[in-house]
Amino acid sequence: MEITQLQRDALREIGNIGSGHAATALSTLLQRRIDMSVPEVWAISFEEVASVIGQLDSPQAVIYVKVEGDAPGKAVFFFPVESAEIMVQALFGSKESFNLFEDEMAQSALKEVGNIMVSSFLIALTQFSGIPLQPSVPALAVDMAGAILDAILLEDGSLEDKVLFIDTQLSGIPQIEGQFIFLPNDGSLRKLLGALGI
Amino acid sequence: MSNVINVGMADLKTTKAPNILMTAGLGSCIGICIHDPIVKVGGMAHIMLPSANGNNGGNPAKYADSAMELLISDILRLGAQKSRLRAKIAGGAQMFSFPGKPPVLKIGDRNAEAVTEELKRFGIPLVISDVGGSFGRTIHFDVGTGDLKVRTINHGEKVI
Repeated sequence: MEITQLQRDALREIGNIGSGHAATALSTLLQRRIDMSVPEVWAISFEEVASVIGQLDSPQAVIYVKVEGDAPGKAVFFFPVESAEIMVQALFGSKESFNLFEDEMAQSALKEVGNIMVSSFLIALTQFSGIPLQPSVPALAVDMAGAILDAILLEDGSLEDKVLFIDTQLSGIPQIEGQFIFLPNDGSLRKLLGALGI
Repeated sequence: MSNVINVGMADLKTTKAPNILMTAGLGSCIGICIHDPIVKVGGMAHIMLPSANGNNGGNPAKYADSAMELLISDILRLGAQKSRLRAKIAGGAQMFSFPGKPPVLKIGDRNAEAVTEELKRFGIPLVISDVGGSFGRTIHFDVGTGDLKVRTINHGEKVI
């Protein structure tokens, strides 16, 4: 899957608007300032994806939401475990410590964060492109980042030679870090770009 | 001095003792580890899917079938004898379960099955495997001793 500079710019703009809405939703939810990087658009081999998400065995809380509708895809949030714990504490308004690996309340709170963020992202994307898109029920895994990523990318039992995704870094004050990636399915890319006249 | 050699996703490497081969963050993927304990050489492949399905243009290390063939021929080139080769495997987890939906495609299980079949096809004994579950694994393989260290975040660490 090769993309032109024009297509790349269009996808970056989609990412910018969509991720901006998602970051604003997170900021409202946590009552904290959340900053967002300019999105990157990657079209790289699976082997290279590792370099984008960093340490493959670092413990992360990953929220995975399948995007359904006329241009399906996958939306994924990566949060280092410490950041995810800070977010949950902010949501609950409590400093109490808990074990994210086992605490079901904390886990469902994080899924809800993912749901709200992806919904905001998709509303923006739908407004922008005119293509109706809906989030599915979010899934959460707290484990090694690489292990979770491979499960998401290989879920359908196949893999294109190149993986295309829009990548946005999120950072909040204090001490929240995260990464949001959106992977349109192969056919969806053409639809999204087509809707923008590209 | 032993070096630790990193094997990436869809990657394949071979080396001699006392070097260690490692791969990080195996989810539904499988780490295939094969060595010859006499000449103390071995290799590791980090495969992602069961079969290349005749897709010869792609990266052979990505698939169980094409990776196995390449891994074995690379190990033999280092002086190993096929009759002495021994295998250990780890990975093949299912990281997500979707409530209310049956796991139609358990890619981790399918990978483990495919790797086991391929080992049979090449007549290489599978000494031990650590597959399945719902957690990631990082593995270190000592090609001299054949020790395979499996590290997880929340399910302990062991040497098999």
